[in-house]
Amino acid sequence: MRSRLAAVAATTLLALGAAACSPSSSGGGDAAQQSSGGKTTVTVRIWDDQVAKAYEQSFAAFTKANPDITVKLNLVPFADYFTKLPLDVSSGTVDDIFWTNTTPFGALADSGALIDVGSALGDEKSGWVPAAVEQYTRNGKLWGVPALTDGRIAVFYNKDLVTKAGVDPAKLRWDPSEGASDTLLPAAKKLTKDSAGRTGDQSGFDGSKVTQYGYNAGNDLQAIYWNFVGSNGGQMQAPDGSFVFADTKGQQAFQYITDLINKHHVAPSAADTNDNGDFSRDKFLQGKMALFQSGTYNLKNVADGAKFGWAVAPLPEGPAGRVSVVNSVIAAGNAKTPRKDATLKVLKWLGSTEGASFVGSSGAALPAVTDAQQAYYDFWKKQGVDTSAFGEAGGTKTIQPPFGPKFGDGANAYAPTFKEIFAGRTPVGPGLQKAQDDANEAIK
Amino acid sequence: MSASLRRRVADLAAYLLLLVGAVVTVAPFLLSLMTALKSPQQFASQTPLSPPAPVTLSNFTELFGGRYDFVSPVVVTAQVVAVVLVGQLAFSVLAAYAFARLRFPGREVLFWVYLATLMVPAVVTIIPLYAMFTAAGLRNTFWALVLPQVFGSPYAIFLLREYFRGIPEDLVSAARLDGCNTLQVLWHVVVPVSRPILATLTIITVVSHWNNFLWPLVITSGPKWQTLTLATANLQSQYNGNWTLVMAATTVAIVPLLLLFLVFQRHVVRSITITGFK
Amino acid sequence: MVADTAQSSAARSSTASSDAAARRRRRETGTAYALLAPSLFGITTFLVLPILVVVWLSLNRWDLISPVQFAGLDNFRQVLSDGQFARSLLITAVFVVLVIPLQTGLGLFAATLLTRGLPGSSVLRVLYVLPWICAPLVLGVVWRWILSPTDGALNALIGRRIEWLADPALALPSVAAVTIWTQVGYVTLFFVAGLTSIPTHLLEAARIDGANAWQTFWRIKLPLLRPTTFFVLVTGVISSFQVFDSIYALTPQGGPQGVTDVVAGRIYYQAFQSRQIGQAAVMALLLFVLLVVITVVQQRWFSRRTTYDLST
Repeated sequence: MRSRLAAVAATTLLALGAAACSPSSSGGGDAAQQSSGGKTTVTVRIWDDQVAKAYEQSFAAFTKANPDITVKLNLVPFADYFTKLPLDVSSGTVDDIFWTNTTPFGALADSGALIDVGSALGDEKSGWVPAAVEQYTRNGKLWGVPALTDGRIAVFYNKDLVTKAGVDPAKLRWDPSEGASDTLLPAAKKLTKDSAGRTGDQSGFDGSKVTQYGYNAGNDLQAIYWNFVGSNGGQMQAPDGSFVFADTKGQQAFQYITDLINKHHVAPSAADTNDNGDFSRDKFLQGKMALFQSGTYNLKNVADGAKFGWAVAPLPEGPAGRVSVVNSVIAAGNAKTPRKDATLKVLKWLGSTEGASFVGSSGAALPAVTDAQQAYYDFWKKQGVDTSAFGEAGGTKTIQPPFGPKFGDGANAYAPTFKEIFAGRTPVGPGLQKAQDDANEAIK
Repeated sequence: MSASLRRRVADLAAYLLLLVGAVVTVAPFLLSLMTALKSPQQFASQTPLSPPAPVTLSNFTELFGGRYDFVSPVVVTAQVVAVVLVGQLAFSVLAAYAFARLRFPGREVLFWVYLATLMVPAVVTIIPLYAMFTAAGLRNTFWALVLPQVFGSPYAIFLLREYFRGIPEDLVSAARLDGCNTLQVLWHVVVPVSRPILATLTIITVVSHWNNFLWPLVITSGPKWQTLTLATANLQSQYNGNWTLVMAATTVAIVPLLLLFLVFQRHVVRSITITGFK
Repeated sequence: MVADTAQSSAARSSTASSDAAARRRRRETGTAYALLAPSLFGITTFLVLPILVVVWLSLNRWDLISPVQFAGLDNFRQVLSDGQFARSLLITAVFVVLVIPLQTGLGLFAATLLTRGLPGSSVLRVLYVLPWICAPLVLGVVWRWILSPTDGALNALIGRRIEWLADPALALPSVAAVTIWTQVGYVTLFFVAGLTSIPTHLLEAARIDGANAWQTFWRIKLPLLRPTTFFVLVTGVISSFQVFDSIYALTPQGGPQGVTDVVAGRIYYQAFQSRQIGQAAVMALLLFVLLVVITVVQQRWFSRRTTYDLST
């Protein structure tokens, strides 16, 4: 009885003692611990796991040069990233440095949550891509270090499937009327196969039993609909930030996209893609999709995962030409961090040619630091991949990327209706109008 | 048909139905395990119903060594459960003893207050607790995970009180005559006699806190303090569509409790039914 | 004189003993409250105080980032006129109606089968409880795969492509089915305990009287199972109204066209995604009141119907 008592007591004490220590090798717990022994840990939050690998090497080099600072990465899934970010910022539990895109950017900048990078690291500005600097300058101040810039949106294609079907991916045009000038639809049809082997343009094609998809039309802002609206000569947002996509040009674009999905069945059903942003990419990598429209953010994934010959073609041309959204991501600093100096040092490193070079030279993403970009193009040239379609060779016209202080709220407001539109349960005209009204209401 | 033949047929039909029920119950577990043991290539190219060929542990190694660290959530969850278990049991025993065997003003009223708190749904307290912990600077800490639950559970207190009421007075008097104070009475008399109910409560507490999701979801952030359920949800979000990896994660999340269950099934079964009869 | 002294000494000694008794009582009270202190602290801080805070939050506007602003009854007006909350309540009510009768019925049915004395019944009984042991969130993730339209096991099994969780007509029933699957074993155990506690002499008497199995079930077993049935129903309804984890895993963001937007989910999304704390607090309060009412009504209604004197 006594010995059992002692055992229980001992275990309890052990558990309680060990309890407050986290097992994860996060190199330190709270602020106090982190500054002990002269070592500071700066935490960095991102969502891209390809870039995470590059960052790890970059930060290893940084720590070699600055032995008293270690950098710890925190990878948060993109699907939850912008839900968690505002919560963590407001409760003071956000990382010292975190990526952000335009979704919450305006609100964060206005609330004083971000470090004024423009003043703190002003002399570095010249090394950064001007479009990125401009996108994240608000009220005259730059609120983060440009980390990545996505090139133009382009089309990855499966060489084998495309040759067999006799399709030239570089010459694709789409037209809302689906008339003679529309070559995208016939091409996608030829590239879509059902379980009986019939292609999308043959009679008897069963759209409910598709085994190979032609194209990845779907509810994807950056890869699909923002570009289609632009290529039709329309706009998603007015200069004041309000949403204007429900006009004729917008309707035509969305109608074309949803017809690809629900009428012609050349793209996966929204039931698969609405909640899974990687569905089409996975199908492409499995060799079950011929044309995959996406950006540089998937280039490494495709290179690592595709077991077939592939290449990159420019975005399909619309009535208004090849209009792409070009987006950047910044690394913002937490204004309330207790480790301001160390954080600024890491931010400076991220914005330096040397620090950003790891990202470019591993081909993970196109850095927004101008001098580090060539490494990216060189890497892919060495791999035998022609990445010119992501650059000017793919076109020069662009559409304004998402912006505005409450863009995130607006996007959340139109999201459910968009899902219904893509699922074919809500007609495009009324659906877009409702979505636009909801979104504009939310950003008031 | 004779009566006994009719009964035989009825028994056979009953047995078949029970077996169908067993298959329906177990199938999802087996299927998810099968998927976890498949390579992603096999999963992508064959029907999801095909058995893994070859059986591969690559999903699990990736879970524990590769990009994702699943060791930490398991340990964190175990730590939280251990601390909450010890605290809840200890403090509930103390309170239940007071309610069961001591006389003091306000006893009945206070007990009803305790019981009344059982009616408060978790989703109601989540918001203010989040605000309170955040204001105290305790968001995303171990203590945030543990504190709301560690001081005793009205449910446990209720069950223990019933049990303690049934302890013969002689046992307690004898101990008192030997000079024991209250704590000693508890330790030497009450607790040993209450082993069955304590075992039951241990199981209930372990199961409910191992599976807790909403509170960790709200009060933690990042990889450091995520519990097993939260890590599973995050993994599913990150690797959406990569079902082989996700099923490996769900398997890891389920296995500890399954093992616990299989070892202690008699206690578990009794714990479920004992709570139904007041 | 002698009598006086005797009386006063008796009075003195009884005062002395009542003093001692008073001291003992005070000590007992002190001990009791000392024993109660930790749990009292826990309940006050983490259960009672939050309710007060929720009431306060419901009267203010807060988005976690900007400062708190007083809003009076605005939040109440908004929530009650909005229709979203009412819709969530309706969806939750439908969910409860889908889940509870089926789960209770199936549990009872399984219990009757398990108490026939068939071999392996005790093993099966344990097997059926497996889903209940696991975290609803984790099971939700598993079923999300199984019900997945393209790579899921169910569609592969039946050979058709059905969008279980993406079709607005099927999403809520699918989620309800998963919940029933999770809980039936647990309910079965209660009914097995209930059935096995029916005194055999009653069943014997019925058999002697010539009752067949069906009549025995309806006239004797079922009525005697009322306490169990009511317990299962009451606890089932209360916990179904609070379902969150599995729905979060199966159909995040309220599902297609918001058909699985149950109350607990709505409160969570309103508070931690839209960050409208005031409105979320109002919803939480309303849910609390609703559950209290349901509990009290159920207890009252059932307690009048569950006493059977089996002492004969």
